Amino acid sequence: MRGLVLKDILVLRKGLRTYAIFLLFYLILSLIGAFHLSMCVAMGQVILMMLPISAFSYDEMAKWNLYAAALPGGRRALVKGRYHFTLLISILVSVYNLFLSVLFSILGKASMEECLLTVLVSLLLGLVMVSFMIPINFKLGPERARPYLYLVLGIPCLLVFLLYKIGGSRLSQIPEPTSAQLIAIACVFLAVALCGLYLSYFISCRIMEHKEF
Amino acid sequence: MTNCIEIQGLCKQYDQFQLEDITFTVPGGSIVGLIGENGAGKTTTLKSILGLVHPDGGAIALFDGAPDAAARQEIGLVLDDCFFHDTLRPKDVDAILAPIYQNWDSALFAAYLQKFSLPERKYIKEFSRGMKVKLSLAAALSHSPKLLILDEATSGLDPVVRDEILDEFLAFVSDDDHAILISSHIISDLEKVADYIAYIHQGTLILFERKDAILEYYGRLACTRQQLAEVVPEDLLRVKKSNFTCEGLVENRSAFQRKYPSLLVEPISLEEIMVFFGKGEPA
Repeated sequence: MRGLVLKDILVLRKGLRTYAIFLLFYLILSLIGAFHLSMCVAMGQVILMMLPISAFSYDEMAKWNLYAAALPGGRRALVKGRYHFTLLISILVSVYNLFLSVLFSILGKASMEECLLTVLVSLLLGLVMVSFMIPINFKLGPERARPYLYLVLGIPCLLVFLLYKIGGSRLSQIPEPTSAQLIAIACVFLAVALCGLYLSYFISCRIMEHKEF
Repeated sequence: MTNCIEIQGLCKQYDQFQLEDITFTVPGGSIVGLIGENGAGKTTTLKSILGLVHPDGGAIALFDGAPDAAARQEIGLVLDDCFFHDTLRPKDVDAILAPIYQNWDSALFAAYLQKFSLPERKYIKEFSRGMKVKLSLAAALSHSPKLLILDEATSGLDPVVRDEILDEFLAFVSDDDHAILISSHIISDLEKVADYIAYIHQGTLILFERKDAILEYYGRLACTRQQLAEVVPEDLLRVKKSNFTCEGLVENRSAFQRKYPSLLVEPISLEEIMVFFGKGEPA
């Protein structure tokens, strides 16, 4: 399984380098005041969402899954490798975002609570997206799964918009929570998202167990 | 000497194709050539052994046990495609496969790369078809497997590279614990190296025998329509008829010759046997 995670890193190394340059570029622009910190954090989440999906595309091009499923670890190791890679990227992105939070709060460009909240919410969204997209990619392959990516991205936006439209006036009556309360809520949701990722892993395992190559 | 593979009554049903009751073994120290037309079921058989498809019936044993992870540690795999991504280099393949195989030997892999003249740091996208097959073979051999499973591994290669690879196969099975199951359309390759031939025709195994026995016993009858009419149909496996001549596939050449001394029966190649089953008709 370690070999399969390493495979993803090696296959995507050029993309990883490009994303690292992007992150640096966004960081510089944020530091000179061209962007808000949230843009940097959002960029990190785009990476978290895109890299595992890109890995599926590369695997399909090489027909890797057929070979990997015949390796000693079998189908389960193949699935596990992809989830571990996703977790690794999540951790790296989170560490980078936390570094940004500390840096920006030290520089006085944003409050620590606001930064942490942005990091937590974006990580939460990233994990929810990949939890949906990984099983869909295992089931349908990257080409046929692509429309679902737009659905997974679009439905939450639509729901937020409808919630705002329908219950906008009522929502404004709810007392505004403190940053600490929001962070606590985000942490709970993050824990739920991690459970969701775990559930997603089992769904992917089940999909792959029934797959015929 | 144990059997590396034992397949008993393997069945697999698809919408428009059925693999029926495939039974054969791959004994240690031998090369078994799997032949058959396109879509006959060779790849489905290999995929069933590797657990890539779920058989509907039958049993597969690897090294006298279940085809589990431990058994797969002993298998080297070369399929008709190179499954390593274009953006990888041979040294990356080493890094990827080292944690996967318990017996992976990086020094052995490097030695194979050198033997096959494969550059360690060149991207696979720059490799020729022959180089990709050699890389797959190097990867398949570097964890000292006991069994090689090869699906059309030599197709599309020039004769020099094929010969080089066939020599590797022969060296591999010089150990009695080692065996190779190879499917190929290049029958001449199998005639060179295979010890046994398993012939799958339209999803059914119609022949599994020692190659030497097949070449020694089977024969081709060349005759006129009138002569063919004199032959008892049971004495011929298949016949091919044209406007002027007829040909028949004979199972036991010498027995047939004794029974029909006036008819000409010649030795036959594996490829001709395949053509008889593919294009001929029952006698």
